[in-house]
Amino acid sequence: MEGILQTFGLDWPKFISQVIIVLIVYVILSKYAFGPVIAMLEARRKRIAEGEANLKTIETELGKAEEKVRGMLDQANLDAERLIAEARESAEAVRGQKTQEAVKEAQSIIEKAREASRLEHESAMNELRRDFGRLVIDATSKVTGKVLDDGDQKRINEETAGQVAL
Amino acid sequence: MVSLTTFSPLLAAGGIHAPEIPALGWISNSILVAVIVTLAMLAFTRMATKRMALIPGPKQNFVEYLIEFLYGQVEGIVGKHVAPKAFPLLATIFIFILASNWFGLLPGVGTIGFGVTNAPFVLESLETPLLRPATADLNMTLALALVFMLVWCWLSVSELGVWGTLVHIFGPKGGLRGALKYMLMPIFMFVGVIEVISIVFRPMSLSLRLLGNIFAGETLLHTMGHLGEQVGLPSWMATISAVVFPLPFYFMEILVGALQATVFSLLCAVYIKLATSHEEH
Repeated sequence: MEGILQTFGLDWPKFISQVIIVLIVYVILSKYAFGPVIAMLEARRKRIAEGEANLKTIETELGKAEEKVRGMLDQANLDAERLIAEARESAEAVRGQKTQEAVKEAQSIIEKAREASRLEHESAMNELRRDFGRLVIDATSKVTGKVLDDGDQKRINEETAGQVAL
Repeated sequence: MVSLTTFSPLLAAGGIHAPEIPALGWISNSILVAVIVTLAMLAFTRMATKRMALIPGPKQNFVEYLIEFLYGQVEGIVGKHVAPKAFPLLATIFIFILASNWFGLLPGVGTIGFGVTNAPFVLESLETPLLRPATADLNMTLALALVFMLVWCWLSVSELGVWGTLVHIFGPKGGLRGALKYMLMPIFMFVGVIEVISIVFRPMSLSLRLLGNIFAGETLLHTMGHLGEQVGLPSWMATISAVVFPLPFYFMEILVGALQATVFSLLCAVYIKLATSHEEH
């Protein structure tokens, strides 16, 4: 084998120097190329993995937030519908109450007006009777030429009032 | 008159022995190229990885792409567990062999050097090229194989232990149990001896394969460059042919350079995988 190697140009000092060169290249590349680059690739891989994990977390959180917002909106819609229904019921109740009050008020006003009218009518009738009685007394005294005493006047008044009441 | 009978292949300048450079004592031209390639790799890796950032620049991006690609390949062969330990060596072997192989294709490598001069800076015949691909020298290819075998031994023992490694080589395989296991033990011992012989010859096969391919490529390019002169073409045609004839082979040598770097590192990866596999225990 030694002979074969010598034939192909083996020279021990040169061989040892080449071994040293290969070892130097091995150490240099391991230290300055492979180590830092593999560390950087690993760091980048971790960063990407973290980014992916964060993205998933954000997506999950976003889903939860959307779910929460949807729940809040549904609750708000329910509350709004309930409030509207309550307001409508309340308005209906108030309207009924106010209508009843207005009807009562109107009836009261009508009653009062009717009472006032009746009293005014009675007053007018009394005044009319009095005036009419006075006119009858005057006419009677002028027709008869007789001064009527209190008894006559009372009697004529009563008769006249009786006539007018008819 | 062109005569192919006068043609004979020319060995790359200096022959199979990497000659020493006259001005540099015992340093051979392949050692010089190995040093140049080492310095170039050091300079490039320092430039690319000095200020590493999460958002990489072009140089960092290239180095990251290369290392990530190689790591994926190594991991696919040796497995996730062994890959962190085996990767630096395998990647070093691949990158260094590739750089050395392709360095040999640069103009001036194997054609500039020392020899008989007939005018200043003009050689009549080149005897000692200044530069020679580091992988076209057995000293370098054997050095690569030896360093690999040392790391391979360390990986095997660190993964399986000394006893585990011996059992891995000589022990029964295929999950045999009982009497059959003991009956077949001599056969497995014999297979183990054959395995040891194959392991011993691995540095030889690895180094001679790489040397043969790269030196043959150098010889091919050298021969094609001188083919015009060899077959007796006129001077002007020989000059043109010195450019045209080697050209297709340059492309082939680019491919061969990459292929040999791949073959060497792939075989190393497979050897590591075979030695560190736990599935038979």
